[in-house]
Amino acid sequence: MTGLLADLTTANQLLPARLQMAFTLGFHIILACYGVGLPVLMLVAEWRFLQTGDRLWQKLAQRWSRSFAVLFAVGAVSGTVLSFELGLLWPEFMGRWGAVIGLPFTMEGFAFFLEAIFAGIYLYGWDRLPKRVHWLTGWPIAISGFLSAFFVVTANAWMNAPAGFRIVDGKIVDIDPLAAMFNVASGAQVTHMIVAAYMVTGFSVAAFYAFCLLRDPQNEYCRRAFTLGLLLGLVFVPVQMVVGDWSAKVVAKSQPVKLAAMEGQFQTERHAPLRIGGIPDPVARETRYAIEIPGALSFLSYADFNAEVKGLNDFPDNEKPPVIVVHLAFQVMVGIGSLMGLLAAGCLVNYVRFRSWPKSKWFLRTVVLMGPLSIVAMEAGWIVTEVGRQPWIVHGYMRTADAVTRAPGVWSVFAGTMSIYLLLGIATITSLVRLARVPLQEDLHGT
Amino acid sequence: MGPDDLLLIVMLIALTLYAVLGGADFGAGIWEFTTALQATDRERQHIYKAIGPVWEANHVWLVFVLMILMNGFPKAFAALGLTLWLPLLLTLVGIIFRGGAYIFRSYGGGPKRELLLWEAIFAVASTGTPLFLGAAAGAIASGKLKIPTENSLPSEFVIGWISPLAVFTGFYSIGMCAYLAAVFLTREAHVIGDEHLTTIWRQRSLSTGLWMGVLSFGGLVMVAIEAPHLAEGFVTRGWPLVIISLVCGIGSLIEVWRLNCSRAVIAASGAVTAVIWGWGISQYPAIIPPSITAAQAKSPDGVLWMMLIVILTGGVFLLPALGYLFMLFKGEQLDRKVAS
Repeated sequence: MTGLLADLTTANQLLPARLQMAFTLGFHIILACYGVGLPVLMLVAEWRFLQTGDRLWQKLAQRWSRSFAVLFAVGAVSGTVLSFELGLLWPEFMGRWGAVIGLPFTMEGFAFFLEAIFAGIYLYGWDRLPKRVHWLTGWPIAISGFLSAFFVVTANAWMNAPAGFRIVDGKIVDIDPLAAMFNVASGAQVTHMIVAAYMVTGFSVAAFYAFCLLRDPQNEYCRRAFTLGLLLGLVFVPVQMVVGDWSAKVVAKSQPVKLAAMEGQFQTERHAPLRIGGIPDPVARETRYAIEIPGALSFLSYADFNAEVKGLNDFPDNEKPPVIVVHLAFQVMVGIGSLMGLLAAGCLVNYVRFRSWPKSKWFLRTVVLMGPLSIVAMEAGWIVTEVGRQPWIVHGYMRTADAVTRAPGVWSVFAGTMSIYLLLGIATITSLVRLARVPLQEDLHGT
Repeated sequence: MGPDDLLLIVMLIALTLYAVLGGADFGAGIWEFTTALQATDRERQHIYKAIGPVWEANHVWLVFVLMILMNGFPKAFAALGLTLWLPLLLTLVGIIFRGGAYIFRSYGGGPKRELLLWEAIFAVASTGTPLFLGAAAGAIASGKLKIPTENSLPSEFVIGWISPLAVFTGFYSIGMCAYLAAVFLTREAHVIGDEHLTTIWRQRSLSTGLWMGVLSFGGLVMVAIEAPHLAEGFVTRGWPLVIISLVCGIGSLIEVWRLNCSRAVIAASGAVTAVIWGWGISQYPAIIPPSITAAQAKSPDGVLWMMLIVILTGGVFLLPALGYLFMLFKGEQLDRKVAS
C-alpha cells in the first residue's frame, strides 16, 4: 500500500510499464513456443503409433499431450494478460494505432480460439474418438498454433517497419490493414520466430530426455522421445541460419540504427567489420575487445564488401537505442546459434559414419545444456527486437514515452506481477516434473 | 446500418456467449466457494468433469471481445484501459489464478493438501473474476465514467470508477454465474442419471433463480435512480428484452422444477442473454456513456469492413469446430453411452 501511495506522486510510468511488458511478454513467449512446437511432436508420435501399433508411441503422445495441456493453459492465461496490458499499459498506442494494426490481433483471436477448441477435443478425446480421427484432431492444434504466432508477430513487425497508412495534418488516413500486416519486416521476423519456436520446443524436449538417458541409458521410451525432440531442433538449425541472415538484411534496410546497435557500429564506414563479442562504450563511441572480421558486416547486410554501413554517430541522440544491451543480446543469440550449428554438424558427421547419435556421455550433456540455451537465445532475440526499437514504440511515428498510461501504481503492479508469475512459474515446472515422474509401467496398463 | 453497427452486434454476441458459457464455468467455481464446507468429493468431481473440456474455449470469448474493441473501436479500448484499469487488473488477477489453479489441480498430481489449496484458489478466483468484471460493466453502464485527463488527480484513477451501480452489477454478475451453473449442472447430473446430484442442483437452481428474479427487479430500480440515460433507453427501446428476460427467467424455473433440463438450460441462457442485449440496446449508440459513442471511437469504415470479412471467414472455421466440441462432450446420447 505504501508503494501505491509513493507511486501516486511519481509522474514517470515509463520504466515500470516497460519492465512489466518485457517481463510478461518474456514469460509468455516461452509458453507460446511450446504451444507452437509440442503439437508437432505429439502428431509425429501418434502417427508412429498408428503406423506401427506400438503402444509406447501412443504413451509418448499421451504424456506429451498432458504436458501440452499444462503449458497451453498457462500460456492462454499469460496471453490474456498481454491482451489486457495493451490497453492497461499502452492506451495511447492502441487508441491511436488500433485501427491500423488491430486486424492481425483479431485474426490471432480466431487462431487461438481454434487451438483452444481442438486442444479440448484432443486432450479429452483419447477414449472417445476412433484412433485415426483423434490423430486428425491434433492437426488443427498445430496449424492454429503456427497461425497464432504468424498473426501476432506481423503486428510486432509493423511496430518495427510501420506501413499501411499516411499521416495528413497529424491524422492517420488511407489505412490499409493488409499492407500494415504484410510490411517489410513481417516475412523475415515471422519466419525467424516460428522457426525459433520449433527449435526451443525441440531442444527443450531433447534436453529433458537427454537428462533421463544419462541416468538410464537403456530406456527405450526416453530414447525415442529424445530422438524426436532433437531431430525437430537440429533440422531447423541450418534453416534458422539462413532466416537470421534474411532478418539482418531486413533490419539493415528498415531500421539501420538498430543494426548499428546490434553490431556496436559507431562509425559510418565502408568495408565495415563484423564484430564477434566486444563491449560497446557509448561514451567513447567505440566497441572494444571484439574480434573483427573486415568487411563482413557490409557483406552480410548489403551483399557487398564495400557497402556503407551507417554508424550510431550519425543518428540523433534521442533516436538511439541502448547500445550495450542490444549488442550483447545479439552476441548471445548469435553465439548460441553457432553452438547449435556445431552440434548439428557433429551429429550429421557422426550419422554419416555410424548411422546413430554420438555415443559419448558428453554429447548427452551438451544436449541437456542446449535446452535452456535455446530459450536464452530466443529471449535474447526478443531483447534485440524490442530494446533495439527504442525509443520508439512505432518506429519513427510514436515514442514509447508518449504511449504509456497515465494511471498510477505501475511499480506496485509490476511488483505484484513478479510475485504472481513466480508462483505461476514454479507451479508450472512442478506440475511438468510430476507428470514426467509418473512411472511408465503404471501408465501403460491403467489409463 | 453501417459496419460499426454490425461489429457492435458481433461484439455483443461474443459478450453474450462469454457471459453464458464462461459465466457457467465461473459459476461452478462460485458454488465450490460457497459450498466448500459441505460439499462431498463426488460433488466436486461433478463440477470439474463438467468444466474440463470446454472451459478453455469458453474463456476465449473474452479475448475475442477485447480484440474487436481494440481493432474496431480503439479509442474506447484506450479509454477503458485508462479509466477502468483497477477493476480490469483485478479481473486479470482472477483470470490468472482461476486458469492456473484449475490446470494445476487437474494435472499437477500433487499431494492432497496441495490439491485442496488449488481448489480453494480456484473457488475464490472464480468468484472474484465476475465480481470485478461485472463491476467494470456496471461502471460503464452508470454513465458517470469520466475519462481522466492530464490534470486528473491520481485518486480519480483509483476510485473514480466506483459507483453504486458498479458495486451492484459486480454482485449481480456473481449471482448470474451461480444461477447459470446451477441450471447447467442440474442438466449434467440428470443426463448421467445421478439422482442425488440432480436433487441438490435442482434445489440450488430454484433458490438462486428466485433470488436472481428479486435482484433483477432491484437492478431495474437501481438503473432508474442511478443511470437515468440508460433508464430512458430501457423505456424507449430496451423494454421488450426486459419482458423476454422475465419470461425466460420464470420459464427456466418451471422447467427446472419439472426436470426438463435441456429446456431449462435454454431458458436460463435466454434470460441472461436478454439482460445483456437489453443493456446494449438501451445504451446504444454509446460505448462508454456519456462521452464516447461508437461513431467517435470507431476505426475507418474500410478497416471495419475488413474486420467483418475476417470475422465471417474465421466463423466458417470456428463455428463447426465449436459445435463439434460441444457435441462431443455435452451431447446427451454420448454422455449416456459413456455413463453406462
